[in-house]
Amino acid sequence: MIVLERVWKKYYRHQVFHRSLREDIVNLFKRKQKQELKKNEFWALKGISFEIKKGECVGLYGPNGAGKSTILKLIAKVTYPTKGIINVNGRVAPLIEIGAGFHLDLTGRENIYINGAILGMRIKEIKRKIPQIVEFSELGEFIDMPVKKYSSGMYLRLGFAVAIHSEADIFLIDEILAVGDEAFQEKCLEKIKKLKKQGKTLLFVTHNRELMKKIADRVIFLKKGEIVKIFS
Amino acid sequence: MFKIYTRLIFYKDLFLVFIWREFSIRYKQSIIGILWAALQPLSMMLLFTFIFTYIMPIKITKYSYVLFFYAGLLPWSFFSSSLNYAIPSLTNHYNLVTKIYFPREILPLSGVAVAFIDFLLACGVYILLLIMFKAKISWNILWFMPLFALLLVFTAGVAMVLAALNVYYRDVRLASSFLIQLWFFASPVIYSIERVSLKLKMILFINPLTFIIENMRRCVIEGRGVVLWQFLFMSVLVMLFFSLSYKLFLNTEKKFADVI
Repeated sequence: MIVLERVWKKYYRHQVFHRSLREDIVNLFKRKQKQELKKNEFWALKGISFEIKKGECVGLYGPNGAGKSTILKLIAKVTYPTKGIINVNGRVAPLIEIGAGFHLDLTGRENIYINGAILGMRIKEIKRKIPQIVEFSELGEFIDMPVKKYSSGMYLRLGFAVAIHSEADIFLIDEILAVGDEAFQEKCLEKIKKLKKQGKTLLFVTHNRELMKKIADRVIFLKKGEIVKIFS
Repeated sequence: MFKIYTRLIFYKDLFLVFIWREFSIRYKQSIIGILWAALQPLSMMLLFTFIFTYIMPIKITKYSYVLFFYAGLLPWSFFSSSLNYAIPSLTNHYNLVTKIYFPREILPLSGVAVAFIDFLLACGVYILLLIMFKAKISWNILWFMPLFALLLVFTAGVAMVLAALNVYYRDVRLASSFLIQLWFFASPVIYSIERVSLKLKMILFINPLTFIIENMRRCVIEGRGVVLWQFLFMSVLVMLFFSLSYKLFLNTEKKFADVI
């Protein structure tokens, strides 16, 4: 399902991208520069290898800067590895930062369409699922209000509701179980367990150990871009 | 061409949603809404007509100035507003580009698509003007469609290259308003290449818009046809340009999320 083989990922430490055109042209002729680190570059991942089978629920755990989110990004194909191979089979729904595609001027309902489509849902599919999504988000009549007037809790709830209803095979979940009040969190957890029962593959990042123990089949412990240990 | 089709077919719903999104965002909380789309070429046309009739009375053409300018401004506004939407499209959607995968060309192309909707509306005004000024229409008006198709492909190519470069070098966006202005005067919008010497014509024809805009005007208000070999030659050039731009886009796409 998901296979990572000796994956390395290099990042620039600079906030702003400023290489010169001249440097770019020179680099075109130097193919081997990928291996070595230049000034202000660092390895976010150093030779990560693991495999996740269909229907497995795997947690990524580790201190900040361990490379957890980078792994999710690589699996979501948002970015590409510097070295190594990644193989992903199936539709991926990245629940990385909920509501990324929301536009503040549009209403909740309109944003459901946008976010749903971004997550790879068909328009028909979204239409069919709108009642479920609205119900899950508990927004009720507020659904036809522009999102800019939402409270942050409402915003997150709507985002989570859309994401969780997508028909993907693989769900990437990054620190989002801190959504809404306790009752809603409980509801999310239930939903995630349900997805697990349906045979979906789940990969999530969290700092909450309790939660990790509750739902994960396996936990990969990362530190500074390397796998330290795998608990199962 | 084929590649873009296979990449986008799976994401066609997303593409539609994005077009609709861009479109509705733009006219939210505006009173006259979509009418703005017609207002822009219309007001420019009035201004140029005023300037060249009263302030600098120069004989540019024997056809009515109203029609002449509008015929040039119509394709031009499509081109310039496409670029205005498309160039910052990738950087504006920073949130999406760094988080979720989808074919990135959807972003600049939906900018082009929104400009196309505006263009359709402006075409409605064009038809009204043609009737009001009793233009003599011949069958050659049918050339309008293939010429527009050419313009569309060319615009899409330019839009993708500039949008991709803007991810790496924000200078593109800063330069774009100035570049578009230069391009305006390099295209036969407020003049015709009719009476220009052959040498100058050659230089002007380096700009593909020269061929497209000039002929889009000729086939409608002058009722003249397009020279077939010129059209085919131009089509090949534009296609070539498009496939090169698309290639460049695909090559740079992989690094967007890291660089943006």
